[in-house]
Amino acid sequence: MTQVLCGDPDTCTLYESEVYRLTTTVLDLKKDAYSGGEAASRRTFSHILYYLFMIFISCFYFYPILWLILSSFRENREIFSAPFALPEQINLQNWSKAWTVGNMSTYAGNSVIVTSATVAGILLFASLAAFAFSKLRFRGSSFLMLMFVFGLFMPLQSFFIAQSYIFEQLNLKDSYMGLILPYIGTGLPLAIFLLKAYLDSIPKELLEAARIDGCGNWRMYSRIILPLLIPNMATVGIFSALNAWNELLLAMLYIQNDALKTIPVGLLAFSSRYMTDYKLLFSALSIITLPMIVVYLFFHRYIVAGLTEGALK
Amino acid sequence: MSGRSNKFSPYLFISPALLLFGFVVLVPVLMTFVFSFYDWNGIGTMKFTGFDNYIRAFQDRVYMNSYGHTLIYIVATVFVEVIAGLGLAGLITMGRKGSGLFRLAFFVPVMLPMIVVSYLWKFVYNSDFGLINILLEKIGLESWTRVWLGNPDTALYAICIVSGWVYAGFYMTIFYSGIQRISREVYESAYLDGAGEGQIFFKIKVPMIRNLVETGIMLCVLTGFQSFDLFYVMTNGGPYNSTEIVTTYLVKVVFTHMSIGYGSALAVIMTIVIAVIGLVAGRLNKKDSSVLEY
Amino acid sequence: MNKRMIALISTMLVTALTGCSSAASNNSPANNGGSDAKPETLRIAMGSPGEGLIKVWETIGKEFEAQHQGIKVEFSYQDDDTYQTIGLPNLLSGKNAPDLYFEWAGQRLQTRVTDGYAADITEQLQSSGLKDMFAEGTFNGMVIDGKTYMIPTAGDVTNVIFYNKAVFNDLGLQPPATWEEFLKVCETIKQAGITPLVIGNSDLWTAGNWVAHIISRVVGEDAYSEAMQLKQPFNSPDFVKAYGYVQELWDKGYINENVTAASDSEADMLFLNGSGAMHPIGSWLAPTAVEETPELELGYFNTPAIPDGKGNQDSVIGVLNGMVVNKNSKLIDEAIEFMKLYSSPESSKKLSDAGAVPITKDGIDKETMLPLSLELNDLMENAPALVSPPDTGYSIEVANALNMATSEVIGGAKSPEEALAELETTIAPLK
Repeated sequence: MTQVLCGDPDTCTLYESEVYRLTTTVLDLKKDAYSGGEAASRRTFSHILYYLFMIFISCFYFYPILWLILSSFRENREIFSAPFALPEQINLQNWSKAWTVGNMSTYAGNSVIVTSATVAGILLFASLAAFAFSKLRFRGSSFLMLMFVFGLFMPLQSFFIAQSYIFEQLNLKDSYMGLILPYIGTGLPLAIFLLKAYLDSIPKELLEAARIDGCGNWRMYSRIILPLLIPNMATVGIFSALNAWNELLLAMLYIQNDALKTIPVGLLAFSSRYMTDYKLLFSALSIITLPMIVVYLFFHRYIVAGLTEGALK
Repeated sequence: MSGRSNKFSPYLFISPALLLFGFVVLVPVLMTFVFSFYDWNGIGTMKFTGFDNYIRAFQDRVYMNSYGHTLIYIVATVFVEVIAGLGLAGLITMGRKGSGLFRLAFFVPVMLPMIVVSYLWKFVYNSDFGLINILLEKIGLESWTRVWLGNPDTALYAICIVSGWVYAGFYMTIFYSGIQRISREVYESAYLDGAGEGQIFFKIKVPMIRNLVETGIMLCVLTGFQSFDLFYVMTNGGPYNSTEIVTTYLVKVVFTHMSIGYGSALAVIMTIVIAVIGLVAGRLNKKDSSVLEY
Repeated sequence: MNKRMIALISTMLVTALTGCSSAASNNSPANNGGSDAKPETLRIAMGSPGEGLIKVWETIGKEFEAQHQGIKVEFSYQDDDTYQTIGLPNLLSGKNAPDLYFEWAGQRLQTRVTDGYAADITEQLQSSGLKDMFAEGTFNGMVIDGKTYMIPTAGDVTNVIFYNKAVFNDLGLQPPATWEEFLKVCETIKQAGITPLVIGNSDLWTAGNWVAHIISRVVGEDAYSEAMQLKQPFNSPDFVKAYGYVQELWDKGYINENVTAASDSEADMLFLNGSGAMHPIGSWLAPTAVEETPELELGYFNTPAIPDGKGNQDSVIGVLNGMVVNKNSKLIDEAIEFMKLYSSPESSKKLSDAGAVPITKDGIDKETMLPLSLELNDLMENAPALVSPPDTGYSIEVANALNMATSEVIGGAKSPEEALAELETTIAPLK
């Protein structure tokens, strides 16, 4: 496990930073110990100020989420009349009702299917292409790469009109493929770009040695390139997964069949149906929010690294 | 065998990606361009009208104003996302205990689906039982209460705040990792010279990650053009088109009014605007070409 | 390690693909092959009629399945706003197009006929006996060039002014008959510290409909209709006058402050929970009220008469709607059969129990139906003039433009003159 982790330069720096944080705190403490009384009290004051401010910001961050979850345990009238009061009891009835009447299990299942197929497709196709672009020489290579770079800057809005028309003609709407294909297609440019950048940094000698040993392109891809790429594919996989999981616009336009809706469109349908049944709507929102936070708590290292790296390139 | 297969195999490697990308992105981009010269509702006959759609676009008040709103949104989000994120990054790199916890905490909203965020904040802004108005009433500032999303003077800014709530933590994390890269000796000598945290932030941290901040601003501008979910759920362009941005208006024109031809022209104009911004920014960035060695 | 990872990814891929293909085949249209083994699916699409009515539709669907071996009934419900805009066109052009779908009579039905999505069912109505189950007037707006395209299911009065009887009694108020009285009532309520009118206009059609009724009262039904069809300008002194009445309501503080931010259902909740004395909305509020706040005493009055108005001052704004059989459907006869079952007295009973207003001749059960719903139904049937709301009777782009102007006036953002001038520029490219 650690091997994989340190293969990724980013998680490595995260580790380093953790170590760094610890050492600086130690340094800080030492400084405190050595400085005189007056300086120490000034330092304590600034510490208090610092934490007060951070707690204030934390309230801004978490109070809305907390309010959402607490409100989901209450009755509609209470939400209206006493918005700040704590719920009388933690009653999961609202949640289970929201789960069943809202078809949430269907939506969640669809999201899982669409997201996993999208991620698998992106990883497979992007790693193949990144290998070719980085390590093989062929005519038109730079031109083709340029097209993908162009795709990096294309907003969804500049092609969804015609895409919607094509999908309609090909009967792709109202099917999983109608979401998976565009999600893969729009996710590919960034994935190829990132994986290629990483492969470019791998020394040629490694591959040349393999070639001399009689390794063909396919063997080289499967035996050498793929294993090398795994940490980076994890990064790509994370932001591709989150993008697919949260996508609204295309899902809203392409999926009308309730049995095929993903979580965002499902929620859209749910909320317009129960717009004023606040306790149900709050429950539905909580049901979607909490697992995301839990996932984040467990995998935050990878998620933070994946998302920031994905956005920056 | 190996000779021939080697010649073609590169194309085999890229063909799945290329075909799929071409099918769902490149071909539709070209078709959208073609559609933009027609008067067409998607079902009936297509009537070639030359540049009529483009002329209509430039006379379309709502469309032109939507660029203004997008601009305001982008400028505001540069402050509440990037600059605020930079400030937060400064705060959590002061070496205080518990900073790691705050760093984790401020990233949480990035994880939430935008649609959940939109509904959540729609309720926070609700004029009857929303958190903000209730809070203002509690602390005796009743005259400050507003119909935040129903007032054309506040709606757009209210949405910008939400955007900041989501993404400030994201930019904070990016800048944080940049600041972590600054070698420890730099700080130590500064500390020895008696520099305060403020000085260290402005004289060391910010200048050392300037490239990262510039990239962050770029990212903020380009993604700002593409935001949709937040606006669609919170106001859908209202009140009185005061939060109509290019993307929400585009969806309205195409899918409510069924004006595929006109909508395509609007999309083409938007694409050109983004491309120009991208090019200008790329040019600016080239000057110091050491962009983000990650 | 590496091999395990690859294996993991490939299993993921395989499960993802197979999972996807098997699920997709479950949902693929069943009516392609001619084999008897596969059940055919009768697809029915509509907006969101509400929990109570959805249950009735589904019960009727089960009954139909029991009576017709080998046919499966599948319902698709959408958010009303989505259904009315992108939802239905998307469904109709999709591969699982509905066989039977909800639509409004009038201009919108006309569009479906032109686009080839509405079957001419004149003969089937006769032969199945469906036609005789309705009064002649019920087919208003459903007959185009002598051909009938729709089976009526409901008539909705889109706007009357509902009021909270308790508030009116406390303040000693009577439902107003004229606009002057209406303003007085508003003033009294406001003085008592209650919001006189609650409107949720975030989607623009709520105030849009009601103000369109006021407009038609002032400028005359024909002038309103002609303006909507772009045969006359909107920016005329009469329209300015009509908007003047609306502007006055906002300027005097008679309308809830969050009129532009609240949605229609939010405003319903505000009114039903007592934060407001009057609420101009459609007949569908009656069943909602029974469901949400059964103890609330609800009254209603039609939009008050406006002095010197050119229109009929007893007119009612409303719309008839029904179900259209898709012209491309393979199950046209089955769809008619379904609607016959839906229109049967037994089904009507279930519908009225759920608070709906069945409009078949013998479907109206005066005993069990909500008295308020019944009254509203009478109001509609006896209306000397029926005004169509902008968004169901006319071109959606013109309707949106008018509703936008209305929202600007009722929210106090623009003067009548400014709003109408802007409206003219908006619709200029459509002429």
